[in-house]
Amino acid sequence: MASKFGLAGGIPERRVRPVWDAIDSRQFKNALKLSTALLAKFPNSPYALALKALILERMGKPDEALSVCLSAKELLYKNDSILMDDLTLSTLQIAFQRLDHLDLATSCYEYACGKFPTNLELMMGLFNCYVREYSFVKQQQTAIKMYKLVGEERFLLWAVCSIQLQVFCGNGGEKLLLLAEGLLKKHVASHSLHEPEALIVYLSVLEQQAKYGDALEILSGKLGSLLMIEVDRLRIQGRLLARAGDYTAAASIFQKILELSPDDWECFLHYLGCLLEDDSSWVNGVLNDPIAPPKFLDCKLSHLPDEMFDSRISDASAFMQKLQADTSDNTIRCPYLANLEVERRKHLYGKGDDDKLMEALMQYFFRFGHLACFTTDVEVFVEILTPDKKTEFLEKLMKSSESPSPVPAKALGQSITLLKVQQLISKMYKLSESELEGSACQMVETYCKNLPLSKDLDPQESMYGEELLSMVCNVLVQVIEFVQFKERLQHSNQYLMARVEAPILQLKQNADNIEEEECVLESLKYGIHFIELSNEIGSKSLTFNEDLPSRPWWTPTSEKNYLLGPFEGISYYPREDMTKDREANIRRVIERKSLLPRMVYLSIQSASALLKENIKVNGSVSGPKISSDLKFLLERYAKLLGFSFSNAIEVVVGVSGGQKPSSTIASDLIDWLNFAVFLNAWNLSSHEIAQPDGNGHGHRPGAWHIVDSLLEMYVLEKVRSMDPQICSPCVDLPILVQLVTEPLAWHVLVLQSSVRSSLPSGKKKKKGGSDQPNTPLSHAIRDSIQSVCGTVEHVTKWLREQINRPEDENLETILSFLHKKGQNEGGPGQVFKILETSVSSINETQLGERISQAVKAWSPVDVARKIVTGKCTVASKFLKICESKLKSLHAMKQQIAQV
Amino acid sequence: MTTIRRFCCNDLLRFASVNLDHLTETFNMSFYMTYLARWPDYFHVAEGPGSRVMGYIMGKVEGQGESWHGHVTAVSVAPEYRRQQLAKKLMNLLEEISDKIDKAYFVDLFVRASNTPAIKMYEKLGYVIYRRVLRYYSGEEDGLDMRKALSRDVEKKSIIPLKRPITPDELECMVDRFGWCNHSSYQLVTSCVFYLFLSLLILVLLRYNISL
Repeated sequence: MASKFGLAGGIPERRVRPVWDAIDSRQFKNALKLSTALLAKFPNSPYALALKALILERMGKPDEALSVCLSAKELLYKNDSILMDDLTLSTLQIAFQRLDHLDLATSCYEYACGKFPTNLELMMGLFNCYVREYSFVKQQQTAIKMYKLVGEERFLLWAVCSIQLQVFCGNGGEKLLLLAEGLLKKHVASHSLHEPEALIVYLSVLEQQAKYGDALEILSGKLGSLLMIEVDRLRIQGRLLARAGDYTAAASIFQKILELSPDDWECFLHYLGCLLEDDSSWVNGVLNDPIAPPKFLDCKLSHLPDEMFDSRISDASAFMQKLQADTSDNTIRCPYLANLEVERRKHLYGKGDDDKLMEALMQYFFRFGHLACFTTDVEVFVEILTPDKKTEFLEKLMKSSESPSPVPAKALGQSITLLKVQQLISKMYKLSESELEGSACQMVETYCKNLPLSKDLDPQESMYGEELLSMVCNVLVQVIEFVQFKERLQHSNQYLMARVEAPILQLKQNADNIEEEECVLESLKYGIHFIELSNEIGSKSLTFNEDLPSRPWWTPTSEKNYLLGPFEGISYYPREDMTKDREANIRRVIERKSLLPRMVYLSIQSASALLKENIKVNGSVSGPKISSDLKFLLERYAKLLGFSFSNAIEVVVGVSGGQKPSSTIASDLIDWLNFAVFLNAWNLSSHEIAQPDGNGHGHRPGAWHIVDSLLEMYVLEKVRSMDPQICSPCVDLPILVQLVTEPLAWHVLVLQSSVRSSLPSGKKKKKGGSDQPNTPLSHAIRDSIQSVCGTVEHVTKWLREQINRPEDENLETILSFLHKKGQNEGGPGQVFKILETSVSSINETQLGERISQAVKAWSPVDVARKIVTGKCTVASKFLKICESKLKSLHAMKQQIAQV
Repeated sequence: MTTIRRFCCNDLLRFASVNLDHLTETFNMSFYMTYLARWPDYFHVAEGPGSRVMGYIMGKVEGQGESWHGHVTAVSVAPEYRRQQLAKKLMNLLEEISDKIDKAYFVDLFVRASNTPAIKMYEKLGYVIYRRVLRYYSGEEDGLDMRKALSRDVEKKSIIPLKRPITPDELECMVDRFGWCNHSSYQLVTSCVFYLFLSLLILVLLRYNISL
């Protein structure tokens, strides 16, 4: 290696090191300076060029970086005597990869490997290039070459893995696997295997071909000793046996594992499955959804004859009893939970006995009821019970809690579990609000009472009963009246969504200035890509990676905000049923959103084309084309909203004129208003909407009026609904923000475009006649500007009021709200009061100093203050947006006045 | 009720419940994938009934000569599965792998000096405080380097505590002296590229649900 001799890419290492140090510490300017100096000394060094390219790319200059890269590549190709080491190539490769030119990097390596066919390092680099490009075949060929060169085990494994990849991805038949097997066999015969991973790969090749017998033979042979952890080896053995259909042998293997590690739940499930000759966990082998696996295994049991089922089940029970007797460790739960699983299987077989199951549940509760994981452990089994039985189970639990465990911490744990089970079986939702509040109070009281238990714990250990508090929150959420406002809490982490949202955000940010907006649109290729994207969505398989179960059930989703009520009861697992709906919905939303950029572009064009009387715009799209394109998109948009084009128009007209209630379009408000805005823009060039007659606005073209009145109507409605903003949940604020930054902003753009084209900027177009027919139109534009102006002003005024309100007044409102509620009818205030009293009456000796300090530090006023400050920040940001909108509107007013 | 098995890429998408804890650090995906690719033996997840993620451990094996050792990078257990000795089980597994498979001399780990419960737990598991590293955690908090000797270190030389605390810089110097990791980035770059390949491989395999 060059660096070993103090040379890096042909340059002394002491000269290169400072450059790398600068890059590592992200001082790119300094790095660039150093690398320029380096280049002055070594003008013909591809390595120095590659370094410079890397730095340029990091500084955000991709074009310069690419041209430097290309000249480095040229140098490499031109000058044969030049050192072609892996360091140079890998540096160049990184630069190319960051510039999204993997192909160029690959061709560099290909060239180098052609020159030095025995250089292993270069070949490994080439192999990695193919990996990045997913060219499995070339991967395999390169790996084999390396294997032939040095005969190392790892290169053989690389080749085998490449073959497996080809087969998994569907571009290779069974023959390839035979080839892989042959290669491995030959290698084993001559060199044996040395790494456990190698053995695992070997076995997986055999397993893939369903050669379970061969795999088992190898596993039990000498090679098997490579797997040092016995349980691991047994697991593989059990799996192979089960797949081969030898259930008896497999069951005895799993039994062995359980004897070694009695707490292995998955292994127990396999054991039971094999006893009952149930192949469902082996046959599909593929889990439906690896991220949110189904809660319980589906089982196939019906094929077993009756007596056989009974005897197998009793075998399993006997074995579990033995395990229970053998283990002294009282944290081991598996053999006990196993009783429940046995009952569940009986149930599935049609021999279930609810009372027995319930008895098993109770036994499990007596043993492990104080553990925090009790509820999640038994969830699957409780689900089997009928609603009546569930209630009965709960009653039994309650009864048992009358004689609690003598150990206080255990007793607390049990009572927490009891409450959790209540939540689990949705018992709570049958309670009325006041009962709910009562139970919340009870929980808080329990928490306060049990604070002394935590006295001896270390500061960082979680306190006993901490969960109580979070459960109180879960209960109060229907009830509770104010929640800290978080704008856009729900960020979909879908990559696709982000891809669509990014340009829309960019559009939003630049929406005040039409010229800038056009630049942005140009860089987006006028949104054509996104249309394509939208077309593809239906066929694309999206992955949904959110880890839903880890969020509390009331986490707002884009469709539904549970915090708003009306109180529907705690449906603890609503998501599972909703997941499908939700996924379909996200698809639709993405589809709609991806139409936006193009529609914005077309609308702007449409507005300017109208006044310029269909002269060619941007040399590409002409007026009629714009109109028909836009119409096509509008039709699609309407369809996505669930309406035909003409029906959608009717809806918009109806709502704006007041014939239809405003709630008609409230669910997809933003989308509807977008539709109206684009509809108006389209109408400018097509004139297809007849003027609504007899409604007193005869002089204004109808579409303008529709947009104006819709915007006004909804913006005002939202503002009204949030008064006084700071103290209410103000859940409408995000919608209001979206109203202003999306449809309203697009509309302003259309206005700007119209105004711009009506200005006498083009000197040649001073045809006297052309102004005449446009006069009513320019009136309409003027009116529309006026109207939008008014709407935005209203919002600004309201925001200013909110921001300028003294902080104390806001605090007062929130706190008094709590107190008031507390006195009268209960509500969250009551919980609040309990907390307050317990804080003032703490007994320091009982609690220990640390906890009592912490309790005293709790101040509701501070919390309220934080809420208020947060809201003010949001409001002032929003105000800024509105102000800049106003500014551009005023500018337009002046412009149009000059016409 | 634990099935301890190897961690796989998909687990990265569902271990949030374990990582939502103020003492647990969450790294970026490539960090985890590098570990998965380089030291698959040292990355395990514990699963409970209903395939719930209970906790996980990740680590590595490195060093030269007598400093060849296993290292615990992270071990974390979800709140509802605490106080059940799950961390102990996970630690024992890693120690066993270091001891039996990789024949390491000791296992070490770093812990925040303020994290007394964790320190107590490690002491119970047989770890001793080997040295203190000043301002190890983002330049603010001291770290404790704790070690446990394995069977290969017969005289227990590796765990004789150092008298004085050291700085993170010194830590790196020692690293250089032992020569098991050269920190200049171009070498790191080449090795990273290779491990990137491995992690990609794993990813693709997992996508098609093949257990290697």
